[in-house]
Amino acid sequence: MSAEAEEELVRNAQRGDALALAALVDRLAPFVGRICGPIALEHGEDAAQEALIAVLRDLSTLREPRALYGWARRIAAREAVRHARAARRSPPLAGERPELPAPGDPALARDVRSVLEALSPEQRAILMLRDLEGLSEQEAAALLEVELGTVKSRLSRARSAFKRRWSS
Amino acid sequence: MARLRALAASMPWVSLEETVIEAPFARVWSYIDDMERGVPQFEGNVRRIEILARDGDRLRLRSFAPGGFAMKLDAVLRPGWCVMRGAFGEIGMAAAPAGPGATRFAHFEGSRWLGRAARPLFRYFVQRDLARLAALAERA
Repeated sequence: MSAEAEEELVRNAQRGDALALAALVDRLAPFVGRICGPIALEHGEDAAQEALIAVLRDLSTLREPRALYGWARRIAAREAVRHARAARRSPPLAGERPELPAPGDPALARDVRSVLEALSPEQRAILMLRDLEGLSEQEAAALLEVELGTVKSRLSRARSAFKRRWSS
Repeated sequence: MARLRALAASMPWVSLEETVIEAPFARVWSYIDDMERGVPQFEGNVRRIEILARDGDRLRLRSFAPGGFAMKLDAVLRPGWCVMRGAFGEIGMAAAPAGPGATRFAHFEGSRWLGRAARPLFRYFVQRDLARLAALAERA
């Protein structure tokens, strides 16, 4: 879909067009899921659903349709960190954790998951945004509403912790 | 199901209800998938439906209300997912298996034209249609 067609779709959705909204759901659901999963882990689906609801509910407040994905990314990351923080306060009972839904070797997926679980939600968020989503440090700082220095130090600690735990 | 909830949240004039139907997904969804024969059996505001055009998962429909009033609708229809938009209303349906022999079904209806004030009326329609669909699928 061209950029112009995408803008038109967002504008129609903002006007309450059910089919345009449904088409946006098709595009945004996997997008927010990809962000929420690695940050909120087993609560990723819940975070993604709430992020999707927040994005669609507040869609009329988006002034620039071209900013849709950046705006949705910010909402999804915040929602995922919020869920992950809440989960840290009430850890799941043994046996409640579903396996990480990832293609490939299930053992590898479990290893990745156990390393991610050892990081804080804030560290997972910065790793996700910087190393998987490819955001700059400035963009990640703006998205997470923290100082650039905080992003740099948090990213450094997150990468060190990931490498240390992965190789241990 | 989560997607339909999100979609309904973006249209504050619709009324969404969910239920579990004690029938397999394939049987439940067959009433939606076979739109011309299936939908009029449980959708109280539709006496007849005609498919005017089909392009992949996009449909152009004409529905006739019990009083004869005809309305054109555009729709997206996929397994477990159906959204329709007409000049005077919106309809959404989603379904997913819920264990052996059961189906979770979500349904919304509303009218942007009538606005939020009509939500109680649409809640009644949705609950009535869900009960009819459950009775049909569970009896079949």
